[in-house]
Amino acid sequence: MEQTEVVKPETLDELTAILHKIFESDNINVEEVQNIMESYESKPHEWMKYAKFDQYRYTRNLVDEGNGKFNLMILCWGEGHGSSIHDHTDSHCFLKLLQGQLKETLFDWPDRKSHGDMVQKSQRILQENKVAYINDSIGLHRVENVSHTECAVSLHLYSPPFETCQTFDQRTGHKNTVKMTFWSKYGERTPYNICILDRKHKAKEVKLLGE
Amino acid sequence: MESQEGAAAAATRDCVLDFSRLSLNTFNVNNVSEDRRRDTRQLFLNYNRLYALPSSVSLFYNLELLDISNNGLTTICEGITRLAKLKTLLAKNNRLDEFSLPKEFGSLQLEVLNFSGNRFQEIPLQCTKLLRLQSLSIGGNRLKSIPAEIEYLTSLEMLYLGGNLISDIPPELAHLPYLTYLVLCDNRIQSVPPQLARLHSLRSLSLHNNLLTYLPREILSLVHLQELSLRGNPLVVRFVKEMIYDPPSLLELAGRTIKSRNIPYFPYDMPSNLVLYLDLASKCPNPKCAGVYFDSCVRQIKFVDFCGKYRLPLMHYLCSPECTSPCSSNPQSDAESEEENSVPADRLQRVLLG
Repeated sequence: MEQTEVVKPETLDELTAILHKIFESDNINVEEVQNIMESYESKPHEWMKYAKFDQYRYTRNLVDEGNGKFNLMILCWGEGHGSSIHDHTDSHCFLKLLQGQLKETLFDWPDRKSHGDMVQKSQRILQENKVAYINDSIGLHRVENVSHTECAVSLHLYSPPFETCQTFDQRTGHKNTVKMTFWSKYGERTPYNICILDRKHKAKEVKLLGE
Repeated sequence: MESQEGAAAAATRDCVLDFSRLSLNTFNVNNVSEDRRRDTRQLFLNYNRLYALPSSVSLFYNLELLDISNNGLTTICEGITRLAKLKTLLAKNNRLDEFSLPKEFGSLQLEVLNFSGNRFQEIPLQCTKLLRLQSLSIGGNRLKSIPAEIEYLTSLEMLYLGGNLISDIPPELAHLPYLTYLVLCDNRIQSVPPQLARLHSLRSLSLHNNLLTYLPREILSLVHLQELSLRGNPLVVRFVKEMIYDPPSLLELAGRTIKSRNIPYFPYDMPSNLVLYLDLASKCPNPKCAGVYFDSCVRQIKFVDFCGKYRLPLMHYLCSPECTSPCSSNPQSDAESEEENSVPADRLQRVLLG
């Protein structure tokens, strides 16, 4: 199939719409997705409503559920906030910097037998608007905002969506499975894992009340 | 309805004066009308090229928030101390140091103060006088230490000191009753004082990228701690076979006997310095030992299981080598840690060791 014309998404909504189209197919062209995401120039007023920070740790804020094919979310990193070393549960992971910078450290999967330190493979600083890609066959990574003065905001796309992943202890290589939660969904804070109605159902409910 | 909303929006607009990102070399307060100065609650002067803030900023007498981050400021004018209603001062990424603050800076009613990204080598004493301060950030500076006077900041809930040159944590830090978020990452800290266990409100402790080899066992008593970051520390992984143990003195042996046999004593029985000595007895943490110790103790590193996931080296002080337990000799084994040292999973939800 011919690659579609490169259309530069001018807004976050346009980017989301293009991603919906791309992910209709089951074959994902990683470069295509990376290019599309990179060509969207971050405009804070478009994503500000999703950028909810927590004082103590980074937050995950759902933007779009991608018709079940992908999850699009915005992560907010306060000063010094970082993730543990983690995998991506057999999914594609795209990470775009919307504001600030993030340090990505790559690790190999620990040997089943080894009980020593996990050694880092490489490290890089991701700049604003750049897009990084990773999947389990490439390895594991840790993502951190190493700045003591600036916050960072990143846009993540995971396909297929996943709710659990494994985190790794760098000193021993031991892993455990963790469940991932959302700090907010569609711009609404979702504490205590209370499910909120998604937009489709909300529209339905409004209609019923109007009758 | 709509006109009310419009008026409210206009009022909000009037309250905020945004002069950020204008490449200003100077800020002329006289360019703002008297009415506007009276109504302004938030003044943004960040991302300019100001070398100085004019003292006439005090004419914004109702100001609650002032953002002068990302300029070239080397001093903060004396006029700022006249802003009686100022609650938030953001001065990140300037060239300020401990000599930059006006003498009466401590008289401000600040609740939030951010000096991250400057050149402070010390936390100025004026800052320790800000009794209403809830949030203090001096990350990314050149601080070599934390003054004991930090304990005066009794309202402090958030303290961010990451990215400095701090080598020690003063035990006085433990006197802050409302501290919930303590960030000390990217420093040169070699040990954590056991007194920090008194920070009962502590929810999040960031210690990654320091020089810690172990933690005090008292850290286990921080019941509200949910996040603890320890990566990038040279934490001991091998069992410390060498146990440094100076045999106890006669004084100590006598003291131990008195305490462990509950021999009663009264102030008129002996010189006051001995009474004081007896009162300082520490109980041996070994649950099978009812003993006490004074100065002579065995320092031993024991590995404690956190939520069944991570093994942390904690420093234990025991009254004698007999109090050590053989099962802790292999930190890499999957054998259970002693019951009393296991921390249940719900206690520490995010130990970001790895």
